[in-house]
Amino acid sequence: MSATSPTAAPGKPAARAHAGARPVGYALVRAGRASFLVHRRGAAAAVGLTVLLAAACLTYLCVGTSLTPPGEALKVLFGLPSAEELTVGTFRLPRMTVGLLAGAAFGVAGALVQTLARNPLASPDVIGVSQGASAATVGAMTFGVTSYAVMPYVSVAGGLLAALLGWAFAWRGGLKAARFVLIGIGFAVALRSVTQLFLTKGDYLVAQQAKVWMTGSLNGRGWAEAVPLAWVLLALLPGVCWAARAQRTVATDDDTATALGVRLGRVRLGLALLGVVLASVATGAAGPVDFVALLAPQIARRLTRTAQIPLLCSALTGALVVVVADLLGRKLFEPTELPVGVLTAAVGAPYLIWLIMRGRTGGTA
Amino acid sequence: MPAAVPTSSPGPSTVRRRVGWTAAAVVALLAAVLLSLAVGARPVAPGHVLHALFHDGTDADTAVVRTMRVPRTLVGLMVGAALAMAGTVLQGITRNPIADPGVLGISQGAAVGVVLAIAVAGVHTLTGYVWFAFAGAAAAGVAVYAVATRGRGGASPVKLALAGAAVHALLVSVVNGVLTTRASALDEFRFWQVGSLAGRDGAIAAQIWPFLLAGTVLVLAVARGLDALALGEDVARGLGSNVGAVRIVGGLGAVVLTGAGVAAAGPIAFLGLAVPHLARALVGTSHRWVLPTAALLGPVILLGADVAGRVVFAEGEVPAGVMTALIGVPFLVAMVRRKAVAA
Repeated sequence: MSATSPTAAPGKPAARAHAGARPVGYALVRAGRASFLVHRRGAAAAVGLTVLLAAACLTYLCVGTSLTPPGEALKVLFGLPSAEELTVGTFRLPRMTVGLLAGAAFGVAGALVQTLARNPLASPDVIGVSQGASAATVGAMTFGVTSYAVMPYVSVAGGLLAALLGWAFAWRGGLKAARFVLIGIGFAVALRSVTQLFLTKGDYLVAQQAKVWMTGSLNGRGWAEAVPLAWVLLALLPGVCWAARAQRTVATDDDTATALGVRLGRVRLGLALLGVVLASVATGAAGPVDFVALLAPQIARRLTRTAQIPLLCSALTGALVVVVADLLGRKLFEPTELPVGVLTAAVGAPYLIWLIMRGRTGGTA
Repeated sequence: MPAAVPTSSPGPSTVRRRVGWTAAAVVALLAAVLLSLAVGARPVAPGHVLHALFHDGTDADTAVVRTMRVPRTLVGLMVGAALAMAGTVLQGITRNPIADPGVLGISQGAAVGVVLAIAVAGVHTLTGYVWFAFAGAAAAGVAVYAVATRGRGGASPVKLALAGAAVHALLVSVVNGVLTTRASALDEFRFWQVGSLAGRDGAIAAQIWPFLLAGTVLVLAVARGLDALALGEDVARGLGSNVGAVRIVGGLGAVVLTGAGVAAAGPIAFLGLAVPHLARALVGTSHRWVLPTAALLGPVILLGADVAGRVVFAEGEVPAGVMTALIGVPFLVAMVRRKAVAA
């Protein structure tokens, strides 16, 4: 029995998985006894994005007010002694880490929320989640909270509260995407002005600092922001892995899901919570870098050509967008720096306009 | 004695109701003005306010009322009326209940005009940069409407709001880009951007009134056309209304009013959204009544928000723009939850 070839009996489940029922565009990968179906194009996109991201990161570490040879940058990266320890290790590396992690978090958050709402416009930075996190963080800053260890919790609380309020007000015997988006936009406007209020309340220097933070700048970000962010994201990683699987069940309709024994309501709630927390954490660390959560999942989906929004590729795209935007922001208008949020908005807003003009707003959803 | 009253003219009870509410709005406006003159870090008794207004004096109360609160109140009156009328007209010409100069990104367009005037063109007087504000407001308004009308379903509320949000975000990034590269403009801009009446002096009021007058004339001129348009484009055409002209003249009026209001007090959110609905609830849908009522109620709300902002925090002020945003959101939520906004 153990020696028979798997192709022998056509009726056996194992055989079917190998031959007939393998979906188009998937490849079978075996690792010992385990085997996976891998989406070919998705895998290629992920590999390509990773290569691009690595190249962008290396460029980021090498380019600044002074140029660093790639060899020296790599030395610093791997902890070897180097003359460039100060510029690369102290300034560029931690700042880049914040950008990488925040970008990835924005990408995944956008993917989750857009999947749930089945609407590319329902990204956390359009519907008030990022603005809630911003308002809470700027508020905490102007009222004297300086501990970076506390900031992630403050911003998550703000983002969750905004999402919860938006959801509560849009709920009316069911949740209509259009109503949710409209109310979310209203909340975003109001929360922005609350943030402005905090800016005028505080001490001038704090206000100045908060103002720069508000535009989504990575300027001056260091390990103090990078380390808490990394821990929080690490803690959320099992959740993201769960989400990558659970996401598929959400795409099915309610009846099918019930028949399959999936508690769709709970799954949706879990995905929404995860998306809001990720977006808020990223906002807390990097400021409201607008449109990354909107853009990254859409780019990723076009690259992979999947029906579902792929989480891994969204994360990679988000990280790539933020790192490249910050690199450009540092170099384009030297000696002044443009905040990364200005650049992402300059790309993201026209994209959003294009989405609306194509009529893909899901206003009927 | 006429045998039948023409159906289009309102009955005596409607007229009585309209006149009654208009009188009430005038009373509310007077009360708001009095409060705005009396309340603040240095409270002045209403009797003293009147005394200070009509008699010369050298005491501190008179000085506070005359030099600080009167100009501020005047600017509040003008900006409140301007934004409320602009909102009314925008809701009329787009036939969209959530239209508002702030939500549609028109205020932000005016703001970008002002920022560019200050930072790039080196214009620092209001009469100088108000033209930039008009240009910015017009460009943003045209862009938002053009974006929203494309694609399926035309300019639906959701698409208008989204187009407004997108254009708003783009313009904010322009402002931020300019301000980070020209640090000197930031301080001049920091307080103005919130939308506030604090520190507005009499010169501003003296400079914007001609623009407000022009805008008011434009929007009143299309009041009848807006009534026709409310019945639907085809019906309006059938009634002999020139729909295109109504939209252009009304849009021009809204742009002038928004530009002048924003140049004077910064982008003040949601005033143009909420006030027209209030006005319509009181005097019905005829624009010849709604526009003047909105012009009376707008300042009531703005001055009320300004006064509330002065007393909420003891140690400082909450800018009026923040207060109107907080008051305005419940309005938007109610509007969206009602069937009024068919998504």
